[in-house]
Formats: sequence, C-alpha cells, structure tokens
Amino acid sequence: MTKKVSVLPCCGINKTVGLVTTEIGLKLKEINRSIELISPATLSVDQKRFQELILESQVIVIDGCATRCATKLLENGQYTKVKRIFIPEESKKYEFRLGKTLRLSGEGKKFAEKIAKRILDELKKEAERVKEPIVERDFGTIDYFEVTYDKYHFRVPKAGYYFSENDCWVKQEGEKALLGVTDYLQNKSSDILFVDLPEIGKEVEQFDEIVNFESVKALLSLISPVSGVVSAINGKLEEEPDLLNNDPYEQGWTIEITLTDFDEEKELLMDGKTYFEYMKKKIEEEL
Amino acid sequence: MAEKYDSTTATFMGVPRKEIPWWPTIDYAKCNFCMDCDKFCPHKVFEKHEDKEKKLVVANPYNCVVFCRACMKLCEPDALIFPEKKEITALIKNIRNKSENND
Ligand code: SF4
Ligand code: SF4
Repeated sequence: MTKKVSVLPCCGINKTVGLVTTEIGLKLKEINRSIELISPATLSVDQKRFQELILESQVIVIDGCATRCATKLLENGQYTKVKRIFIPEESKKYEFRLGKTLRLSGEGKKFAEKIAKRILDELKKEAERVKEPIVERDFGTIDYFEVTYDKYHFRVPKAGYYFSENDCWVKQEGEKALLGVTDYLQNKSSDILFVDLPEIGKEVEQFDEIVNFESVKALLSLISPVSGVVSAINGKLEEEPDLLNNDPYEQGWTIEITLTDFDEEKELLMDGKTYFEYMKKKIEEEL
Repeated sequence: MAEKYDSTTATFMGVPRKEIPWWPTIDYAKCNFCMDCDKFCPHKVFEKHEDKEKKLVVANPYNCVVFCRACMKLCEPDALIFPEKKEITALIKNIRNKSENND
C-alpha cells in the first residue's frame, strides 16, 4: 500500500449496523497504524479539518444503513479516490445477521475483523494491478430527440440505440455492445458519486443488475438490457463518475459486452422513438 | 411522486402490469422493521402499520418496478424476497406471444 489511506465510518451509535462501522475503522487502524481515521461528527461541523487528507488519500467510506451518513458527508468535499463499504451488502456476502443489540457482540466484532482484513487485501491487490490504458470511444455525431421539463433537459438518441423499460440503453457494435443509462435515470439520481463496475469476464443475464451507482439521493443500478459477457469497462468512470450525468449516451458508457442472444432479446426493447415517448409519459406522471 | 401512475392500466413491455407477479415479499422471521425499505422506495409499495404486529406490509405490489430490487440491497437482515427473474422474463415473453397470435 503506497498511497495514503483514510477511513470515514458513519459511526451510528444507535444502530448495530452503525457500531460495526466504528469497529471496522478501529480494526483497520489496529492492523495498519498509518491509516488515518476521520470522525464523521467533526467532518460534519468542520469541512476544512480533513480537507487535505480526503483529497490526498484513498478514503474508505463505511455506511451502516440506507441513510448513508458517511457518503452524504463527502458530498460537498473534494475527494480523489473512494472505496465504498455498505454493511447490508456485507451481511449478505458473509451470510451474517447482526441483529439489534446495544453493543456489538463478539460475533459482530469477528464480522468487522473479516471485513477489515478483506479491505486491506483488496487495497493491496488494487495497488498491484496494472491499469489498462483508457481508450476513448468514438461515437461520431449522434442525433437526439430533446425535451425540457422545468430546468431539466432530457435527450434520447434517435438511432443505433435500444432501450429497456428500466431506463438503460444498449448500442450494438457487431458482436459486441456498449451499455449505459438514459438521461431519465441519471437525472433521477442527480450527482453520481461512485460507480461500481463489474470485472471483465463476468457473465450477465438479461435484466441482471450489472453496474451499481450511487448519489447522495439514491442507490441505483443499471439493469442489463441484454445478456452476454463483460468484455470491457469504462475505467474513466472511477475517476469521473459525473460522466454518467453529463454524457450518459457517449463518454458515460459503462461496460462493453460480448452479446449472446441479441436478436431475440431485442424484442423486449424499444427503439429511440418509442423510448422517447415512454420516457416523456413517465416524467409527466411524476411531475 | 408517481401520483398519476395507475397500476390497473399500466403496462410493462407491452404486458398489463397486473399480469406480472414482481414485487418484494417480506420475510417476517427476519424483518426488524427498520423501515429503511419504505423510506427508500419512491413508489409507495410498502405501507407502515405501526400499531399492528406486522408493522410493515407490501400494500401496493403492482407499483413495484419490474426487475427493480433496490430495497433488497439495503435490507441488512436480508428479509426481502423477489421472484426468479428468469421466470418472469419467460412469462412476459409468453403473454406477448399469445397476444400477438390473437391479433
Ligand atoms: S429494510 Fe428489511 S428489515 Fe428493514 S423494514 Fe424493510 S424488510 Fe424489514
Ligand atoms: S424493488 Fe424497487 S420499486 Fe419495488 S419495492 Fe423495492 S425499491 Fe420499490
């Protein structure tokens, strides 16, 4: 681990899932004293205190529940690199139920230790991994259908893209296809903070959740409109998650897939014109 | 939100929403009534009944977005159960084929 690491747990004292975040933070520090702890209470009243640390270190953000206090504290601050830990997800991964106890049980502490050790392992692996060079994709010139509601502008590509009713798109390129989210979905989530991309080689079934992303407002997923095998990921999103907001149909693409059954799966998808009408109706229902 | 959404007339992939059995089921043996799922879901699928034994119920199952499982991800005790996605996809295709043949 060459880069500096800091930990921002939510520390929620009134929930067992909150206690476990504190315990993970302490465990990490116990194992590696160079890791810096960030107190969420201090950060909430004094953004400046940890500003430099947050900017120059990889921040491990640990949230106990869906309120996601730790994540929300990062919203205004500038940060470079973040690793997300979400306790409900961890409970499922380790098939462990925390229950509702005032203090963390012995089992709960062991659970925290397992997570802390795994985090350190992952950091090590990530540091060793050779990053694939980021290749810009060329989208040429795309024609869009456009509509504005209040201050929000929505676009939908006219041709070349297919859409699902879960507001995700697929753009076929021979045997492969690029996948992404539509303006409707990025708008719904507002400023996206983290994007969790799958590993290359992962198999995907139609309508599987394949990319998870998170904003202050919501936890969302790209539900894959097609099945196939992940052949490339848009590594740029790790450093610039806001590409999903600003350029969802082009440089904000998420993954590339080797298609397995596109001709049949296409039947359940919409073309640009149909999706544009579908999207407008949906927005109008929500206004 | 979703005030004008009417699940009785809504369709999903061309199939009446009412014919697609997709929504979460609460496993009451596991649920601790933290209500995070209800707080999170913008579609009023859940309803709180604070004075009853089952403090939370799935009140509007057809408001649930087909293939969404967002609430499951944030439920710490893993108390929300969804149908098999494959079966639902097959069902949707079946209904579509039938109605095409009738046209
Ligand atoms: S999130 Fe899970 S535990 Fe909490 S109320 Fe919903 S079903 Fe129950
Ligand atoms: S799956 Fe999605 S739409 Fe359905 S109840 Fe859960 S959060 Fe709401």
